[in-house]
Amino acid sequence: MFRLNIELMKIRNTVEYSGEMILMRDAAQKRLVKDFETNNKLINLKDKIVFYAGPAKKPKNSPVGAIGPTTSERMDKYLEFLFKNGVLGTVGKGKRSELAIELCKKYRRVYFVTPSGSAAALSKCIIKHDVLLFPDLQTEAIQKIQVKDFPLYVAIDIFGNSIF
Amino acid sequence: MNYVCLNDHRDRLIEELRKKNIIMNPEMKKYIKEYGGPFHEFIKENVKVAEEENLPICQDTGMIEFFAFLPYNVCLDQPLQNFFDSIVSQTYLENDFRYSTVIEPIGDRKNANDNSPAIVHIIQTNDHKIEIKFLVKGGGSENLSALFMLKPSIDEEEIMDKIVQYVRDNGARGCPPLNIGIGIGGTSEKATFLSKLALLEPFESRNIKRKYRKMEEQLLERINRLNIGFQGLGEGITAYSVHIKEYPTHIAILPLALAFDCYISRKGCVQIEY
Repeated sequence: MFRLNIELMKIRNTVEYSGEMILMRDAAQKRLVKDFETNNKLINLKDKIVFYAGPAKKPKNSPVGAIGPTTSERMDKYLEFLFKNGVLGTVGKGKRSELAIELCKKYRRVYFVTPSGSAAALSKCIIKHDVLLFPDLQTEAIQKIQVKDFPLYVAIDIFGNSIF
Repeated sequence: MNYVCLNDHRDRLIEELRKKNIIMNPEMKKYIKEYGGPFHEFIKENVKVAEEENLPICQDTGMIEFFAFLPYNVCLDQPLQNFFDSIVSQTYLENDFRYSTVIEPIGDRKNANDNSPAIVHIIQTNDHKIEIKFLVKGGGSENLSALFMLKPSIDEEEIMDKIVQYVRDNGARGCPPLNIGIGIGGTSEKATFLSKLALLEPFESRNIKRKYRKMEEQLLERINRLNIGFQGLGEGITAYSVHIKEYPTHIAILPLALAFDCYISRKGCVQIEY
């Protein structure tokens, strides 16, 4: 399977990504970690790109509704869990904590930003959408999307360099 | 007394709320046009796609905050909270927006599935028309809100330092460039309310009192020198507007509240004549 070559990426590099992303945000990650701690249950996160997002309602004839990044800093407390389980990089918006920068360095992982307030145009980069887990969380469910030429910008690289 | 049947004005308000989620704020368009940093083509394209395809500009279609400027001698056919809740519900059920409200703030945080309830503020006036203003308030910029109970002996420079420092530390999380609303004085909740009211002002308007107007101008300049930029990526402006609203306060206190709006600044207004 196609794997992003994150080792070569430097901060401020732009990438037009085509491939798979896993959507999850606050509520899904909270439940994911709890499920893992209590039942040792987990979806496959190896080599995945996690996109912190919850899409709007799906229009007819579109695979997904308007979609865009939420604030990544709120997700920092789950970042080590993701990296330990194989996540390659995360996508969101905004500045992250020192902890997130340290974790990117420690696990040699990247953080990308993608434009916020651009949800109509971003939805045009998505070619397929499925709900994977926690459908009751609706927009906050864990979802899988296939994207084409999705705009990414390296905000933290594997050496812990950060644009913020 | 004057009697107003709110339901006669339902369709206009629903249309205004729909449009503000889909069509970029005209005051903002020139700043977007001038921007040439990372993602600039994408951001410009988004304005077009949203409008042409009836899609929201941002997936976070917010929690809706209404500010009803209500003449003292008007009698309504229903409570404003019920009216606004039903406006939000209908608008969000009928459009491809996101349901972003949860019923219980803690615990299961179950989605309300129609984006209700609205936040409702009623401001009594001496006017001859009802004016309904609203903010479509996304979570990212709302999370930047802050309240400081300052020492009353603090001077204007120190207040400005505090604000600039706060934006330096936090501004990149709130989808800049930012609109910054500042409430000074009153009590804790009065200052907070004033900071939200300040977000409703047109970008170019300034406080009528010289002291506050000068602070607004200086703050705008100083905040833009932080170079946080569009999306926090260091290019383009950091803030497009700063407004201060002030109120008398107690000898022992000096509340300072900050409110923020993101770069798409979704706000609307409907007037009801009777």
